Amino acid sequence: MLYLEGLTVQRGNKIVFSDFNTIIKSGSITLIKGKNGSGKSTLLRAIVGFTPLEKGTIKNDKKNVFNNNEEWVNNLIFLDTKTGLSKDLTVIENLNAWSTMKGWSSNKENLTMALKSVGMDKYADLYISQSSEGLKKRAALARLYLSFINKVDFWILDEPTNELDKTSLVLFKQLISKFLKQNGTIIIATHDLTIVEDQFNILDLDDFKKQRVS
Amino acid sequence: MNSIHSSWSNIFIAHIKRDILTNSRSLLDLISIVGFMILIIILFPLGLGPIKEKLNIVSNAVIWVGLILAIIPSLEKLLQKDFENGWLDQIATSPAPLEIIMLSKAISYWLIMLIPLIITSPIFAILLDMDLKNIPWLVISISAGSLAISLIGLSGSALILGARKGNILLPILIIPLMTPILIFGVGVNEAVKINESPFGNLFLLLALTLIYLVISPFISALLVRIAIGR
Repeated sequence: MLYLEGLTVQRGNKIVFSDFNTIIKSGSITLIKGKNGSGKSTLLRAIVGFTPLEKGTIKNDKKNVFNNNEEWVNNLIFLDTKTGLSKDLTVIENLNAWSTMKGWSSNKENLTMALKSVGMDKYADLYISQSSEGLKKRAALARLYLSFINKVDFWILDEPTNELDKTSLVLFKQLISKFLKQNGTIIIATHDLTIVEDQFNILDLDDFKKQRVS
Repeated sequence: MNSIHSSWSNIFIAHIKRDILTNSRSLLDLISIVGFMILIIILFPLGLGPIKEKLNIVSNAVIWVGLILAIIPSLEKLLQKDFENGWLDQIATSPAPLEIIMLSKAISYWLIMLIPLIITSPIFAILLDMDLKNIPWLVISISAGSLAISLIGLSGSALILGARKGNILLPILIIPLMTPILIFGVGVNEAVKINESPFGNLFLLLALTLIYLVISPFISALLVRIAIGR
């Protein structure tokens, strides 16, 4: 269980949201929706620990996650609209660099399996500079598969399906179902509530803000 | 605990490998550094006129100043690319501390961009009519000083992340920090020229390098955290 308690996040002079509370159950999937600029990405970045909290805590069970930040970030995969792929490297080189960066063994079999899970095995040696946006997104999503080999409890994804075609969306849904079966927790910021077939919770930032006003 | 630390060193090496691989794919940065350096070395004698003795006096300083000026344009890109494509966000979710990764960035920058300049510096020295006995000392002093230069450059590069017009700001911010390196680096060879021991200057240069080796990764990591937190 992930407890978000009294989160207040400020960017510049603007308070993005204040006193935000919610509980995210383990093994569940939470979709964060809200209009543009409502603070979906900021909320995700605050949960990962990038954007500093003005007030509030995030607890994983009883532990404040930022007391042991290394353990926390090691326990999650964060995927942003900026994917972190270097355009001078190939798809598999990028995945390899990412996997070793996470401190995981990166033998070629696992990496190929990961690419296969998003249908990218044909494109393993394609340079990112020559890839389309959809292929780039899939190359980044291949990282998710590695969490079945290494221990990870959380996926925090920001608009993961924007550029995906129908076939890759099916593969993405398969990855999600598999992770939920392992009691993984998924938090996704998205506009499209049809991307998940499993049962999901909705966190509507617009509703939250309306309640605050009234 | 032991296994965590061994994985830190693996992650450290993996980052250096990635940086070398990325840079080997686009050699433009390296070519522009060496090209810029060659231009400075060519322009200076033209400006000085035909008297050979003048060249011998300034050759040492010209190489050092040329080195500092030549690397400035590439320093902007040292972290900028990784910031824009989101890699800095990803490495912030690494089990290794950001400080270690920042150190690896400085080391790989030194290996990729500055080692070629160190290797070619004897050629520049000969072109500028430097005495042969000075050339080994030039290489030694540049080797020691350039690591400090890349460490300062890393901090500067982290400072301008996400700033508009950062490319104009960067030289103004970091060149003052490089002046001690320049003074002691040039001092090594000036001492050799007047037949005195160069070790005083060399040790001060090494001391400065060690100081930056300790503080620069911490400063850079802090600045990167601020940049990705915005």
